[in-house]
This record gives sequence, C-alpha cells and structure tokens, in this order.
Amino acid sequence: MKIIETRKLSKTYRRVVRGEGLRGSIRSLVKRQYESREAVKNLDLTVEEGEFIGLIGPNGAGKTTLAKMLTGIIAPTGGEISVMGYYPNDLENEFKRQYAIVMGQKSQLFFELTTNDTLGLFREIYGLSEREFRETKAYFTELFGVEKLLDVQVRTLSLGERMKMELMAALLHNPRILFLDEPTIGLDAVASRQIRKFLWEINRKKGTTILLTSHYMEDIRALCDRSIVINHGTKIYDGSTEALFEKYQKERQISVSFRQPVGEIVLPEGAAVREESPYKKVIRIRKEQSGELLQRLMEYHPSDLTVEEDEIGRVAERIYAEGVLGQE
Amino acid sequence: MKNFRVFKALLKIRFQNLMMFRLGFWGPFFVDGSLFLIQLVIFDAIYANVERIGSWGRGEMILYIGTFSLINAVNMAVYFFGVNGIVGKIKSGAMDLYLTKPVSPLFRLTFECMNPGSLPLLLLSGVIIGYGVRTAGIRLTWGRVLVYLFFLALMILLYYEMEVLIRSVAFYLVSNARMEQLEEMGLELCMNLPGIAFYGVYKVIFYGILPYGIMATLPVQGLLGEMSPGLALHGVGVVCVFSAITAFVWRNGMRHYNSASS
Repeated sequence: MKIIETRKLSKTYRRVVRGEGLRGSIRSLVKRQYESREAVKNLDLTVEEGEFIGLIGPNGAGKTTLAKMLTGIIAPTGGEISVMGYYPNDLENEFKRQYAIVMGQKSQLFFELTTNDTLGLFREIYGLSEREFRETKAYFTELFGVEKLLDVQVRTLSLGERMKMELMAALLHNPRILFLDEPTIGLDAVASRQIRKFLWEINRKKGTTILLTSHYMEDIRALCDRSIVINHGTKIYDGSTEALFEKYQKERQISVSFRQPVGEIVLPEGAAVREESPYKKVIRIRKEQSGELLQRLMEYHPSDLTVEEDEIGRVAERIYAEGVLGQE
Repeated sequence: MKNFRVFKALLKIRFQNLMMFRLGFWGPFFVDGSLFLIQLVIFDAIYANVERIGSWGRGEMILYIGTFSLINAVNMAVYFFGVNGIVGKIKSGAMDLYLTKPVSPLFRLTFECMNPGSLPLLLLSGVIIGYGVRTAGIRLTWGRVLVYLFFLALMILLYYEMEVLIRSVAFYLVSNARMEQLEEMGLELCMNLPGIAFYGVYKVIFYGILPYGIMATLPVQGLLGEMSPGLALHGVGVVCVFSAITAFVWRNGMRHYNSASS
C-alpha cells in the first residue's frame, strides 16, 4: 500500500541578494533584488507502507526540505504530494497523529524535566488511553533499556541516551511513519549502533515506515533496503542500497603481513601501494582485480591478510560527484 | 475536552519546570510585585495633582487603573511569556516541532509558559478595583457588574489578540522589533490615560487601529453606567475584527512558514 506519493514536487525559496558595500545596501533599500533557489526540483517519490528508506545527499541537497514538506512543516511551491492520503500542509490533527518526526538537532524534550514528564504531556496531546500509554511506554523502555533514566533530568543525559528518549517520545503514539532527520548526528560509534538496532527492530516488529535522512552512510547501509540520493534538489538515484554501494564501492584495500622480509612485489596494473615495509604492505586496487592480486600475494606465503571494502565516506563522495545513474 | 486535558498537562509541566529552581519559582513573585508597585507609584505621581479627567474623578481613575492592572495581570499570569516566545521560535525553527503535534500550535504556545508569579497581581488589582468603587461611590447593580465582567473578558481577549497579531508578523518579516516597540508605547500610554481623554485623530488611533484606549475604558464605563449602545457595539465590533485579522494572519503565517535551516 502506497503511504507516500509525490509528483513533480518542488520547493523554491526566494532570497535577497545585494551588492557589496554601502552602495549595494542603498540600492537594495530602494529596490530589492531576489534570487530563487530551488531546494527540491520535480521530485517523484512513492513509498510503500513498512519500507525503510534512506534519503542521502550532501549538505544543502534538499533532504531536510523534502522531509519538512512531507510532514507539513513547510508548503511545497509546486507539484503534488500525498502522505497517508493527506495534503501535509493542511496540518490536520488526524494526519499529525499518524506520524512522528525526530530531528537530531531539535529536541522535543524539556531539558529541565525528566523524560517521564514529557511523556505525560505527549500522552495528553496524542489523546492516548492509560492502558495504551502504559503498554507502549513499557515496550520502548525495555527495548531501549532505559528504565533507570526515565526519572532523570534530561539535561544530565548523554547525547546517546537523549536520542533514545527522543525516539521514545516520538514513538509513544505508535505512528505509521517515522521521519528521522540525522538521528545519529554527533553520536559515538557505540551509541549510533544501538540507535540503528532499535530502528531496525521498530521497522521490522511494528511495521513502521521509516524515512531516514542522513549523510552518515553507515546508517543507510545498515538499515535501509532502499535508498534515494538527492543532490541539488534532484533525485539522482532511487533503488536498492546494495546495488548503490556495489556500483560505487570500486576499490578494495588489502593489507598483507609476512614473517620473512619481502622485497618489491609485482602488482597488477592500476594497483597502488599505500604503505610499504619489508614485513607489511597495504595495497589499494580496483575490486575486479582483487582476486588476481590475492593470487600473486599467496606466492609470498603471507602470515596474515585482510581485505577491506572501500571507506564509506569515499563511496559517498563518488556518488555525489558522479551524479545521475537513475533507478536500479 | 481534549484541549482542557492538554491545558492541565501544560500547567502541570510548567509548575514542575519552575519548581526545579527555587529562585526561578519565587523570583517572579518578587519581580512582578515590585513592577506593580512601581506602576502604582507612577499613577499616584501623575494623578496627585489632577482632580478630573473628563467626567471622571479620582475614584473612577483608581477603578480604571485597577481594571487595566487586572487585564495586564491576566496577560502576565497566563499567556504573555508563551506568546512572547513566538518570534524566537519562528526565527530559530523551533516552531517545526509545534507544527507536527496534533494540538493547535497557538494553543500550546499560549499556555505553555504560564507564570504563577503574577497571580498575586490579580488579587492586588481586585483590591484596587474595590477601593476605586468605594472612592467613586458607585452603586453596584447586577446588570452593571455583568456588563463590566463581559467587557473585561472581551478586552482580555483583545489584549491577547493584539499580542499574537504583532508577533505573527515574524512569519512574514525578518524583524518585527519596531512593532513590539509600538505595542509597548501604546500600552504604556493607555495604562496611564483612560480612553475618554482621547479626541480626534488620537481617538481613531487608540479606539480602532491600536485599540489599547478601549481596553480598560469600556469595562469601567460599563460599571459606571456611562456606556452608550453605540460604544458597546464598537467594543464588540473591534474585538470581532481583530479576532478575524489575528486568525487570518496566524493561519496564513503558518502556511508562509519557511522553517529555519537545520
């Protein structure tokens, strides 16, 4: 069942431009000049209920603008949009009751109070029954392992703990769609992994449709079956996350150690030595040549050998730089 | 019913928030009380040598001052701090989270920063009103009291609408600081001078455009039995017009909201 549908969705911002110096200021005072910036351009999007989708793009690509249009925070300037059958910017309460949004940089918790206090307010805002409230709260308390933190002042929580609480507050009313805008921003590796695990579970067990906006590729790869890449407001990829990484993860890094000193190794064409000593070599090579390289290395009887995938950050850079590749 | 439950939850959370810091909780009682006393001293200084303004003597003026203080105390106790935060929330993008919750953003903003520190002012204003009634030798009837209470409620609503309207400008313009200055000046003037003192163009301004001139004047005229049907109609009309304008500007503003970049 389609839960989100947009056709030629656009958002254009108008901003003032003025010349340099005092003369520019005076001229702008008399006659304002504006320029249009298309944050989202003719974007077609269809999301099925229960999907976990990653929205990827560099800063200023239009990801957050898209998420804000889908939640009704801002109105589109063109195209059609339907989320669960509603036009989001009508801001109907019935619509708002069916989704939740978590913004990594904007907290909905009261910092001076405890999470329990915020949950109490949200219970009334969403009109939850006592039973519903108790059951959902118990479910997420157990899932996130935060029983001891519910009565602690929010400001004293770590960033990772706070994000768990943000998710709990957002999911209290069992939304059909969860919009996540950079939920792991600023979190360390352990906290990010925990958050990813919870999101995966919520999607699988509760069937919540999740639209994750992030420029952390680790999040996208670990969670999303489908990815949408946006750059300069335009959708440049919509398809399988695996296919996306397969296409852009072009290199492998092979580290090899030896018990006996080894001199120069004859490498396949295109391979680059990153680190070299008589006992260890680190070589970067195109992934289709990695087998050939491994065969050659085996001739030197290595004591240890590791093959690493391309760094995820490099993959992202390549995706944004190479641009359009369409649907996979 | 749902709004009442949300109101109760907001009140509860506000008290909990204020009680986290003892000075934050007790401080406003002292500050608001001091401001109130300063205001009274100013009134006293102004009216020490003024016997009459129009047909009003000292008793009627005290009644006027008490009524304006009461309207202002309701404003300070209930909605001022919430409504005053609207501009900041629009500019910072914090409004995003209000728009995504299934409760009217304006309702939540209005009642989320109630200020118990201003509650004693309600009592003090009541005392001043009582003293004014006694000094002016007004014979109270049920009819006059009801007219007074009706217009008092209307003017509290008008005061609220003016505050929301002026702050909603932030949806459309980058800076509305001058508008807030205008509001401050209008309020300050009309707190010290009743509407009956205005004539000509000033009356047009303070009875229609920036209607601070009618705020305490109409309820007092109602209690004194001086209110003509035309004036009553004018008061109701102004409130209706400003209700419609405020609702339009707010609703349209929310559609205009561009949300600060995250």
